[in-house]
Amino acid sequence: MRGCTLFRRRSLAKPYLLRPFCTDGGGSVGGGGDDFQSSRVKIFDRDLKRTHRDRAAWLMRGKDEFVDSVAENLLDRLEDCKKTFPVSLCLGGSLGAVRSLLRGRGSIQKLIMMDMSYDMIKSCKNAEKDMPNNNMETFFMVGDEEFLPIRESSLDLIISCLGLHWTNDLPGAMIQSRLSLKPDGLFLAAILGGETLKELRIACTIAQMERDGGISPRMSPLAQVRDAGNLLTRAGFSLPGVDVEEYTVRYESALELIEHLRAMGETNALVQRCNLLKKETALATAAIYESMFAAEDGSVPATYQVIFMTGWREHQSQQKAKRRGSATISFKDIQKQFGSSS
Amino acid sequence: MVRGSRAALSSVQSGLDKALSDFLVCPFSKHPLRLCKETHSLINDELGVSYPIVDGIPCLFPKDGKLLKDKDASKPCDSVSSSREST
Repeated sequence: MRGCTLFRRRSLAKPYLLRPFCTDGGGSVGGGGDDFQSSRVKIFDRDLKRTHRDRAAWLMRGKDEFVDSVAENLLDRLEDCKKTFPVSLCLGGSLGAVRSLLRGRGSIQKLIMMDMSYDMIKSCKNAEKDMPNNNMETFFMVGDEEFLPIRESSLDLIISCLGLHWTNDLPGAMIQSRLSLKPDGLFLAAILGGETLKELRIACTIAQMERDGGISPRMSPLAQVRDAGNLLTRAGFSLPGVDVEEYTVRYESALELIEHLRAMGETNALVQRCNLLKKETALATAAIYESMFAAEDGSVPATYQVIFMTGWREHQSQQKAKRRGSATISFKDIQKQFGSSS
Repeated sequence: MVRGSRAALSSVQSGLDKALSDFLVCPFSKHPLRLCKETHSLINDELGVSYPIVDGIPCLFPKDGKLLKDKDASKPCDSVSSSREST
């Protein structure tokens, strides 16, 4: 596990900066009185995130265009595969959107939905009755991505839509995902990238400097695009693929942006967060945001950068690059062979 | 035959689908779990931890797990492999 920790530090610059101030949670982190996480960096308060997701379960609006378009983009990749995925697992994040937009793609027969929050899973279960089932059985469970309670080599597909960026140990979570996949199983994930909510980051900083005379971390450190590829390779996935998409969502006001973040369960869950937010500072942030970034028609844009990651568990049938220097035929000969015939 | 139907019945009573419980393991040790229909929980005998099943939804979040006090009393001889269907 030490390797993971080192990797994480190298790949994400901001957690490293935070680390000297972190009080290591020790045995209390993993729960059940064990020392599973004692040597790891703790960036996010997972219990708080769980509460956020409980709240999101009842704040969720029926339709969220941003989440839906991310889920659609992610699930679209299933159509590019010839393979079918009889047993699939859907990890936390926007479960509802994934479930409703699946529409029989990937020929999934068994879908297991997992989230940290019981309320979230319960609301998914209640919504299940209204969904078309397309010969698909759905199961529900509560679990933690960092401690994936799924048997080894049992799944064909893992989908995670906007959930994994809240894990303290992202490489660890990805390694566990890989192990629970069957050989030639697919891992599909969408996480928020470093450019996300850059406007809010700026507005928060300026408002806090102005009103409080200092700044505290209001936004989480997020993975950069270049890290995503490293993460996939580090977790041991073969044929890794990463692509990025930027979405701009327009709001009527900056306060509506915060409401949207709450409904998605994406509010600040840093261990090192400042628990105090003065009303004055909050309103100043909103005012600065609107004055700096509002469009001419008065709408307030917010940027979301989503990183899509694709990886497969290794299998003999997959194409693989040969070892360097193992070629036995000269390129000149190849040219002779094919150059003459064409 | 009788044993099979009893197993099916027990999974109905505890509200946990057999098809799902086949995939579940302990989040810490990754070993199979034993279904206890009396307490509606999934039990890892090795670590002595039980995870609740609430309304048919197994809660395998590390913090939901409870340490079993009477570790020895709850442990039958043939613990892990064949005991998922019985207590």
